[in-house]
Amino acid sequence: MGALGKPIILMVTMYLFLKFVLPNIPGSAPLPSSLIFLYLLLTVSGIVIYETLSGETKDAFWGPMQGFLTGEKIGGLQALRYGVLILFPLLVGWQTYGSTATSDLPPTEGRTIHPAPPGEYTGLSNPVPKTPDNIMQGKGFYAAFCSPCHGGNFDGKGPAARGFNPPPANFADPTTIAMLQESYLFWRIKKGGVGLPIEGAPWRSAMPRWEVELPDEWIWKIIMGEYDGAHQSPRTWE
Amino acid sequence: MKPAGQMMKQVLRGGSAVIASLIIGGASLTFAQESVAVRAALVTGGLPLDDPNAAAWSSVSPASFPMSPQVHWPNRIQEVTVKDVAVRALYDGKQVVFLLEYADPTQDPDDGAALEFMVGDKKAHFAHGQPMLQVEGGPVNIWFWKNKTGKAVDMSAKGFGTLKPQAHQDVNAKGAYSNGTWKVVFSRNLSTDHPEEDVQITPGQFISIAFAVWDGRKDAAGELVEKGSQKAVSSWWYFRADAPPDYSSYMYAAVAVALAWGFQFVLIRKLKKGQ
Repeated sequence: MGALGKPIILMVTMYLFLKFVLPNIPGSAPLPSSLIFLYLLLTVSGIVIYETLSGETKDAFWGPMQGFLTGEKIGGLQALRYGVLILFPLLVGWQTYGSTATSDLPPTEGRTIHPAPPGEYTGLSNPVPKTPDNIMQGKGFYAAFCSPCHGGNFDGKGPAARGFNPPPANFADPTTIAMLQESYLFWRIKKGGVGLPIEGAPWRSAMPRWEVELPDEWIWKIIMGEYDGAHQSPRTWE
Repeated sequence: MKPAGQMMKQVLRGGSAVIASLIIGGASLTFAQESVAVRAALVTGGLPLDDPNAAAWSSVSPASFPMSPQVHWPNRIQEVTVKDVAVRALYDGKQVVFLLEYADPTQDPDDGAALEFMVGDKKAHFAHGQPMLQVEGGPVNIWFWKNKTGKAVDMSAKGFGTLKPQAHQDVNAKGAYSNGTWKVVFSRNLSTDHPEEDVQITPGQFISIAFAVWDGRKDAAGELVEKGSQKAVSSWWYFRADAPPDYSSYMYAAVAVALAWGFQFVLIRKLKKGQ
């Protein structure tokens, strides 16, 4: 196993780097598992190419694996070898069944949680001065219009929330309003769920289109009150 | 070095096949299911079309969906009686029947319930197909039952204020109340002559379904509390008339196992020859 030692260490290091180090670089974010998989696949390809460049390294790299497969001089590993040779076709069969079987599950309509806003709703800043009075007023509007779904505790667990799918956003969660700019919230509140682009699945959204009932100034105050109440800050322009 | 080079190619191909199958398998496990579905099993004859209390229903397991008060659009209501609905369905190749069951403490003439479906290929917003700003939506087909009429109305809507009965009535419904529970059956042919306004139900295909319920109770002043848009509503969920089981994927799997075994056999034989 000597020749495989370094490649294995490299793969593990690469995985740990992608999973835990890279996301913490400023400007970065957690990587989706599909991307991590892609990078690991690239690493494996690189290792294989590198190891097979010359005759000696190739034999040292593949030798142990070949020996394992043919059963040559592997002593006590015979049982493991048989295990692998039996399980591999079964694994292939299981995967084939999984991908050809008609799914019993409803369609997975992947929904983009924060789709891009229309151009006119980017870059807007809250015109309402951030005073305790305005924050208080915003919280009052929030209690009247938003809390039935989004909850008095800003946690998405209002009394009216339980029947809705997708559920009302939890503002106390760091992946909702804390990740967004006020301009984005203004768009979402004003235009509602029906204002979402197709990737946001507007037909599913219970979010009202508040521009029909509330003036812009009230919406800006609600945004202010909401951040304050949920103990979050908006993402600001760099 | 040629045999070794060819061997390498086989190993790499086999390896990437394994990796690819692992990706597919892994990916299908990571999609979280947000939706719940009600399914209709195929029965041969004896659909309980008019009978909420038929014995046939007891062997069908219900799907349960939570309800919310309609708080998004005027006229709003902040609290409603019905919190959940249990839904069962059956079909026989020609007709489909749904059983809606929910708790309602009082039986009132104005008690009502409705099923809602999207129509055609376009998506529709669950609130009566109200227009969406960036997506062109289609109409909804609503099957509306009211206790005092004792029957269903087949309706269409495409936005608030546009709800109206259809010219062609295709839906039947019957309600039965006992012990604080309403059971309402809705039945209709799977297909109708008006696909532009009626939902068409194709076995094997998931379609969207939503529910609404009205408790026709009156307040102290004698006014109806839940009426019109003041109702219990649900989001879109899924419905499917389940096609009969298909076993071809077992056959595909068996072929794949044979191929994989054959690949192993050939590979190892070649490796042994090379040694």
